[in-house]
Amino acid sequence: MEKLTFSFKNTKPVQHPVHVGVVASGDLEVIFKPTTSKETTLHIVTGSDGFKEVWQNVLTRFFERYPLLADIEINDFGATPGVVNLRLTQAMEALNNEE
Amino acid sequence: MKNSFVELSGRDRAIALLDEGTERELVGPFDDMISPHLEPQGIVPESDDGVILMKGQLEHKNVLVISIESAFQGGGIGEVSGAKIVAALEQVLKDNQNGKTIYPIIILDTGGVRLQEANYGLLSISEIQNAVVAVKKYVPVIGLIPGRVGSFGGMSITSAILSYLIATKKARIGLNGPEVIEQEAGVREFDSSDKDLIWDTLGTKQRSATNIVDEVVEDSVEVMRDAVNQAISKKKDAKRTEDADFYLSLLDQLDMSKPLNTVDYRELYKNVKTVTHPITEAVATTEEKPKSRGRLWFEKLTGIKNAETNVSTVLQATVDGKAYVAIVPDPKNRFPRVREGEAGLQEGFAIANAVNKIIKDDVDKEVKRPIILVVDVPSQAYGYKEELIGIHVALASSAAAYAKARQSGHPVISFIPGDAVSGGFLAHGLQSNRLIALDDDSITIQAMSKASAARITQRTIAELEEATKHVPAMAYDIDNYEKLGALYQLVKGVSSWDANDQSVAKVKKIIDEAIDSAKNDANDLRFRYNTKIAKESGRVATIKMRQAVADQWSD
Repeated sequence: MEKLTFSFKNTKPVQHPVHVGVVASGDLEVIFKPTTSKETTLHIVTGSDGFKEVWQNVLTRFFERYPLLADIEINDFGATPGVVNLRLTQAMEALNNEE
Repeated sequence: MKNSFVELSGRDRAIALLDEGTERELVGPFDDMISPHLEPQGIVPESDDGVILMKGQLEHKNVLVISIESAFQGGGIGEVSGAKIVAALEQVLKDNQNGKTIYPIIILDTGGVRLQEANYGLLSISEIQNAVVAVKKYVPVIGLIPGRVGSFGGMSITSAILSYLIATKKARIGLNGPEVIEQEAGVREFDSSDKDLIWDTLGTKQRSATNIVDEVVEDSVEVMRDAVNQAISKKKDAKRTEDADFYLSLLDQLDMSKPLNTVDYRELYKNVKTVTHPITEAVATTEEKPKSRGRLWFEKLTGIKNAETNVSTVLQATVDGKAYVAIVPDPKNRFPRVREGEAGLQEGFAIANAVNKIIKDDVDKEVKRPIILVVDVPSQAYGYKEELIGIHVALASSAAAYAKARQSGHPVISFIPGDAVSGGFLAHGLQSNRLIALDDDSITIQAMSKASAARITQRTIAELEEATKHVPAMAYDIDNYEKLGALYQLVKGVSSWDANDQSVAKVKKIIDEAIDSAKNDANDLRFRYNTKIAKESGRVATIKMRQAVADQWSD
C-alpha cells in the first residue's frame, strides 16, 4: 500500500460532492468534494506500490481536459490507468447530472 | 428486459429496492468514517467501510436498507461497518418502540468476520444479532442473499436469526467456507476445489429444500422488490431458531457411520419425527471425565463432581439460584468434529433448549435467574455434515436463546477460563452483557486459527503475526483482547488449570458482582463500549459511528 498526494492548479470549482466506484479488485472509488482552496488536491491510497509516475500522467491528462477544482480522495485496489480514467470521467458526469 | 439485482453494487442494490427518489443515505462516503485498522496493515480502506445504510420507502412503507458490499474485502464485517449496522438497527428499534413503524431489510453478501479486524468483527456480529432479536419483537427483519459471495461465517449465524430469507440461485450459505474446513479438517472432509460439491451443498437449491432459506426468486430487481414487499406486508417469520427439537430429533436419526449426501439428507429432513429433547440437570458421577478448563470450572462453580447430563458435551445445572452452562469435550462423541469441545450441531440446539426452558420457567418471576456461561470453546465444528445440515442454525439457536434471556431480564454472564474462538464464542459467550476472563496465557480468543486466517487473507503466518503487533483485534491472547474494552474484568492471579478454593471463591465473588452490575443496567450489550478502555481507545471508532448514525437518523 502506498499513499500519494498530487496537486493541480485547476479553475472549474465543483459545486456538489460526488462519489463513484467501489474498492474492489481492479477497481477504485473516487470522491470529489467542493473546496475553498485555489488548488485541486488529490489524496490517493493505492494497493499497488511504485506507480507514482503513471498516476501523474493519468491525472495530468485528465485535468488538462477537465480542470475541476475540488478536494479529491481516491482509494484504489489495483485499477489500471484505463479504469482510473473511466471512474474520473464518471465522477465528472455525475457532477454534470446534478447541475 | 429484466434488470439484474445481483449484478448491482451494494449501494445500487439498496437504491433499487426503494421507491424512486425516496432514498437518503446515512453516514455515506462523504462522512470520512473509514476503518482505522486497515491502513496500518497495508490494506486500502473504503469510504463507507463496505456497508451502505439507505432510508426510504418501499411501496410507501418506511424502510431502512442495510446493504453489504461484497466487492470490498469480501463483505467482511469490521469495527466500523459492524457498528454502522448495529447503530442503525438500534435506531429502528427505538422508532418502532415509539410507535413509528420502520422495517429493516438486510442485504447479506458477506464472508462474515473481516479477518483483518478479527475480534472486532466477532463483537460487532454478536451486537448485530442482539439488535435483530430485539427488533423482531416489533417488526420482521427481512434478509436478502442475492449472491456473489453469499452469506458465510458469523453472518450466516445472523442470517438464521433474521425473520425471513429471500435468495437467488446465485447464492450460497454456510458457516465455514470450504477452504477453511479443508484447512482445519483435511481435504477428505471437504474438498474446496470441488465446485460442484460446494454448490450442491451450500447452494440455494439445497438450502431452500431444507429450510435454510425461505424463498428463491429470479434475479430481477422487480421480482426482488415484490418479494420483499410481500414478506413485510405478511409479516413473514420462519422462526428458524425455534426448531431445536426438530433438529435434535433429526440428529438422533442420522447415521454417523456413513457419508451423507445432499439427496439422502433431503430424505432424512422430510421424514423427521419430532420429539421433545429436554436436557437434564447435571448430576455428580463417580466416573472420571475428560479434562478441560471448561469442565474444571463448571464443576468447581457448581460443586458437581464428574458432572453429566443426557448430552455428553453440554453441562447445565442451577445451583444457589444461578444457572451454569458449559460445553465440554467428549473424545468418544458420535460427532467426530466436536470431540475436543467444539460447538457443533447438538451443542447449539441443546443449549437453546436449556436456555429457553430457563426463560419459560422464570417467565412469571420478578427476579430472573442469572445465567453463567463457562466459556471454553476451541472453535465451532468444522465438518461436511455440519455444513449440510446447517451448523449456523444450531449456533444461531443458542445465540438467540441467550439474547432472548438477557432481553427478558436474566443477567447473562460469561466466565472465560478457556478458549473463546469464532462461531463457538458467538454461540456460547458473546451474547453475555458481562464478560469475565482469567488472565492466563493458555487462553486463545480469536475469529479463526492462524493457519486458516493466513490462507483466507492470502498472507503468510509471519505476516499475520506482524499484523497482530499493530492491531490488538488481530491478536490471539487475552491481554490484547482486554485492549478492546469489552471485558467486565480481567482476573489476575488465577490460572485456568488451577481452580483451588481461594481462586474459586475469588471468581464466585466477581461473578456475583457482575450479576449485580448487569441487573442495574440496560439489558443490551452497550456495556462493552462504555467501559473506560472502550471509550479511551478500544471502541473509539464504534462510538463515533453510533453518534454519526444518531445525528443523521431523523429526516
